[in-house]
Amino acid sequence: MKMMNGNEAVARGAFEAGVKVAAGFPGTPSTEVMDYTQHRYPDIYCEWSTNEKVGLEVAIGASFAGYRSLAIMKTVGLHVAADALGGAAGSQINGGLVLVVGDDVGRIAGDDYNDVRHYGNMFNIPVLEPSDSQEAKDLMVRAFEISEEYSTPVILKITSVTCKTTGRVLIDEDYAYEVKCREKYPVSFSKVIMTTIMMKAKGSEHPKLTKCFNDFPAHMKRLAEDSNDFDINKLELNGKKIGVITAGTPYYYVKEVLPEASVLKLGLVMPLPEKMIRELAQHVEKLYVIEDGHDILEKNIKDLGISVIGKELFPKFPEMTRFTPDIIEEKLVPGAPKRTPQEGVPFRLPVSCAGCSHLFISQILRKHKIKAAADVTCGLIGCFPHMESYSLQKCMGSSIALAHGYNIAKDHKENFVAMIGDGGFWATGINGLMNLIFNDSQSTVIIVDNSCLAMTGGQNVASSEFGFNYKAENKLDIAKVCEAIGVKDIVTVDAYEFKNLEESILNAVNAKTNSVVIVKKPCVTKFKLPKDTPSYIDQDLCSKCRKCINVGCLAIESKRKNGSVEIVINEDICTGCGLCSTVCHTEAIKN
Amino acid sequence: MQDTGKNIIIAGVGGQGILLFSNLLSKFYMKLGYELKISDVIGLGQRGGGVESHFRYSNKPVLSPFIKAGDVDYVISFEQTETLRFLHCLKDDGIIFTSTFELSSTSVNTGLQKAMPESKTEIIKRSENKKFIIDPDEHKSPDFNISKMMNVVMLGYYAEFRAYSHDDMIQIVRENVPEKFVEGNIKAYKMGTMIAVGELVAK
Repeated sequence: MKMMNGNEAVARGAFEAGVKVAAGFPGTPSTEVMDYTQHRYPDIYCEWSTNEKVGLEVAIGASFAGYRSLAIMKTVGLHVAADALGGAAGSQINGGLVLVVGDDVGRIAGDDYNDVRHYGNMFNIPVLEPSDSQEAKDLMVRAFEISEEYSTPVILKITSVTCKTTGRVLIDEDYAYEVKCREKYPVSFSKVIMTTIMMKAKGSEHPKLTKCFNDFPAHMKRLAEDSNDFDINKLELNGKKIGVITAGTPYYYVKEVLPEASVLKLGLVMPLPEKMIRELAQHVEKLYVIEDGHDILEKNIKDLGISVIGKELFPKFPEMTRFTPDIIEEKLVPGAPKRTPQEGVPFRLPVSCAGCSHLFISQILRKHKIKAAADVTCGLIGCFPHMESYSLQKCMGSSIALAHGYNIAKDHKENFVAMIGDGGFWATGINGLMNLIFNDSQSTVIIVDNSCLAMTGGQNVASSEFGFNYKAENKLDIAKVCEAIGVKDIVTVDAYEFKNLEESILNAVNAKTNSVVIVKKPCVTKFKLPKDTPSYIDQDLCSKCRKCINVGCLAIESKRKNGSVEIVINEDICTGCGLCSTVCHTEAIKN
Repeated sequence: MQDTGKNIIIAGVGGQGILLFSNLLSKFYMKLGYELKISDVIGLGQRGGGVESHFRYSNKPVLSPFIKAGDVDYVISFEQTETLRFLHCLKDDGIIFTSTFELSSTSVNTGLQKAMPESKTEIIKRSENKKFIIDPDEHKSPDFNISKMMNVVMLGYYAEFRAYSHDDMIQIVRENVPEKFVEGNIKAYKMGTMIAVGELVAK
């Protein structure tokens, strides 16, 4: 018995399933699946790929080689990899192919509301969902078995709750790793060839073609039928008043709040075990669906012609970000006491760590009113209303192409600048840069090189000097790559050399050519940079203009003291970087 | 009477060692043979976001990873704004353990949201629940930085309140904290027990 969170348990499951290759891209909440796999199970080859699509393609290739393979990403990342998944869906599978995909239910890390199960419906592939760590491990092994038995990629959906909940897991401590290999099919093609045969196109009966045929709709039909007998789907027939169909952690909320209810708990959420659902529907007076995320089970059940109560009673986002036991109690337990939170407790806007290089760039852009697009980086905090350093921000790796689009639409009369992190640059931003060069456009790109993917806790990227498979001679160099792509004006500066950084950015923006400013400073939090003497504010000189607060640093606080407000610097947090003193007109900030 | 289990919310802001606190506590309850479920909710940002840990131990299997409002036995909080977020979750006989430390909310710092008109400590004091309030400024020590080690101070305080074996708890601290920090942590732990002894006698 071991205590494990969901991410640890998934990694353990990969180990017990005999996985050979794991590839993926960091993303909250499932990043640590890869970290644990790499640290604890050295038999498994691990890599952080340049992006999710590449990661999934690596896993698909390894699976075709016969080895069980794993791709790890969050749902937002699967949007990037969706084309690769569409190609793998419906094709012949040799070694099991499983995607572990994290859904950030509850928006606790603030990204868009997504639900990976849509991909199950869209590509007609199975989706499994664990309710706790034990199931996360067990379903991981089952996912590989299903993948091979029914010749299909399988998605294991984990959520911010399963990933970050620690519970006990029964494991065989003496388990010896055994790599699983299965070479069943000599070829594996995307669905195009299968559809040709299914549509009975001319010549499709040729044996050269028919031997490639994989009857994937039949596989899924068989899986749906078999799933009625799967032990990972549990039908618990209790009281006749309330029936609930549920999956994931909501299963436990239901068990706790509605102990009398009859419950169908799905481990395989796609395809559905129709017979079990009908049995439950017949047993109870009212049938509810309680599922985190979108109303996907609900719609799929209704498509079977079975009526259930779901989002009409439990409206989804934005009314609710995820289920809690409280929500179920409020709606389904008559007379449950209502408890109201303390009024007026202020929320916490995300804020940059003290000493973060992004703060320097945000400050310079704001000071000189340079219009710019942010990327998905810690620097996107510069989009928040108190900072207003950026006016455009979309997905990972997008900012360079966004700026290019803006600039061509404005006939290059403005220079709309792109800011991007090193992670975003390698992920897909590099495509934006190549694109703008060969399309004869002009733009200024600020690449913030903090030597890692800081937002997700500091994983390595192609230009990092550490990482799972790091070798100094293989490290990619951002400046050299930009030069090879054809950028004319490239400069590299240290973020803390404020004057130099300011000048470099202004020169680049004013240059009538493509320019890249590479701003170097390792992530203060990941690399635990040494601190300077903390700054302090001389209250006699402070005019309370709050300009320093708008720098966006965590260390600067507005505190009430003896009836009046003081702007103070928290000396435990301040790194002494001195950025705030550059905005102070009264020279009140000292160190 | 035998302790059948408790529901605890551990709260604070990123960087205060909430996850270490719940990890140490989990080791202790595991040794006592309890079933456990611990669910961490971590806000955005590497630092300074709200962090809450739903910590449940029981002599029966724990079901929900989240504790329902009204089912919380203890709120243990290292930051008083965060304490306020969970007051309504306490049982009638639930208990508050809180530091008066405060990290101002960014939304208030930047003027996007109004500061609460009343002192947060006063609101906590007015709660009908039993409460133990530690002011870090009153317990500064040359041996360690209390504002950074409130988690372990609170662990000592909590262990004293529950009359747990300090030897066992200190052993767990020793085994789970990097070696160079062990001594400082044990001093912080002992400080917590001392504050608790004083408070508990006074009450």
